[in-house]
Amino acid sequence: MSYGDTIPLHPSSQSDIDEIENLINAGAHSATVLPARAPSPSRASIPVSHSPFPLPPYQKMPPSSSPTPVVSSVPAAAATTTTAPGGSSRIGISTDALESPPDTLTEPVFDTVKRDLTRIVSNLKLVVFPNPYREDPGRALRDWDLWGPFFFIVFLGLTLSWSASVKKSEVFAVAFAILAAGAIILTLNVLLLGGHIIFFQSLSLLGYCLFPLAVGALVCMLEGNVIIKIVVVSMTLAWSCWAAYPFISTAVNPRRKALALYPVFLMYISVGFFIIAID
Amino acid sequence: YKLLKLLVQAVIAEEKPSAGTSQCSGEEQAANNWKGFCSLSSYTPYFNVDTEVVVDRIISSVYPMDDFSRKIDGSPDLYGPVWISATLVFMLAALGNYGTYLIQKRSEPNGDWEFDVSYVDWAACVVFGYAIAVPAAFYFLLQYFGLNANLVRLWCMWGYSLFVFVPASVSIFFFPLLFLVVPSEIFRWIIIILAGSASSWFVYLNLKVSTEGSDTMPLVVSALVLQFALALFIKIFFFS
Repeated sequence: MSYGDTIPLHPSSQSDIDEIENLINAGAHSATVLPARAPSPSRASIPVSHSPFPLPPYQKMPPSSSPTPVVSSVPAAAATTTTAPGGSSRIGISTDALESPPDTLTEPVFDTVKRDLTRIVSNLKLVVFPNPYREDPGRALRDWDLWGPFFFIVFLGLTLSWSASVKKSEVFAVAFAILAAGAIILTLNVLLLGGHIIFFQSLSLLGYCLFPLAVGALVCMLEGNVIIKIVVVSMTLAWSCWAAYPFISTAVNPRRKALALYPVFLMYISVGFFIIAID
Repeated sequence: YKLLKLLVQAVIAEEKPSAGTSQCSGEEQAANNWKGFCSLSSYTPYFNVDTEVVVDRIISSVYPMDDFSRKIDGSPDLYGPVWISATLVFMLAALGNYGTYLIQKRSEPNGDWEFDVSYVDWAACVVFGYAIAVPAAFYFLLQYFGLNANLVRLWCMWGYSLFVFVPASVSIFFFPLLFLVVPSEIFRWIIIILAGSASSWFVYLNLKVSTEGSDTMPLVVSALVLQFALALFIKIFFFS
């Protein structure tokens, strides 16, 4: 259970991509470089020893770096792809991307949005929805992203703020602060207890597990009766906790499982209580 | 972007072929420079507890006996203080608002009750402020008096002393329900005074063990008084 590949880099401009690539070339002599943002099917299993950092498919290919070592790693990457959900189209994109770079900066906005939305939906299906055929939930979300969590946190904050009758902006601020800082603190808690998780992957997962509570908040906003609200929030709270449980419990030593899980449940329960009480 | 390049250089410099952050640099005991302060691994020893250990410490904090100091002698932990304070913040905010709800419903059944978010702010500031600042102040005072105090032990002890307020706040509401008695003021005062005394006595006993000198008695007594004042403040602000 060792997760060694946790370098989330998002280079976004040409010259800096070049320099960073040079740095990585200089640094990765004989160590095995496990890229963190590789295309999804080949994420955690590329033993790339000397080739430069293979960029995610939707980044522009820097013209100065030599394409040959990168291309030679792509067949290896494609060969070691496992059957990840929604992965087949990704393989096509990755090989295409590294042989003839698609211009993702000039593609239609609709394409970018559609790709991000598809990824959010597929991550959601992985994490939150009960699926008997899903892969081991402890290693969920190979292709984590932070758009989904951000969207759910903001949505939850907005819904709570809308439902509140007074001090709307303070309600939004409190909800956003609790959720965002809470996710970071929970991840740090697991790391401090000696658990093995990847920081941003954990943030992503905790954010996705908010989805049921966001749905519950929406329902409570539209519905006025307290009893129904309590029932709905309890159900969605149980759902959220169920979704988060396997991930957290497999990340720490079994003797400390309760220590790692309790703060997660505390956060979700406090959000649930917040949802019920705001009216 | 320069920041990004620096980050890459730092990551490459630290990069090792094996697993994550909590395993690397265990031998780096640097607590004396900024790198030790900012790196996660220097705080890991304070979270090196199992579930049974934490539960054991919590139970021994409710019954103010001498055992607690011996339990944390080897390894004071910071897990307990952090999450007990967080739980207390949540309890105070939630139950305080529930209390105003009940009062509102009793006085004017058709009135509008509003959730007061400022309870969350106040609870967080008071509880975390108390749990962080008071032990730190006592640490400095004890050092000033020449006694050798350990800051983490003080934080640990004060954090666990706050635990008794959690069942106290819960019982302020649900104890009357259990016994079908109207939650009157006298009940609340009794419960809070009991909880405050238990907590203060716990702090007093443990601080006496830490100091072991008679000329710091005013200090120890002031700790007791402060804890009791916290209990009163909780009652007056959240539960009246």
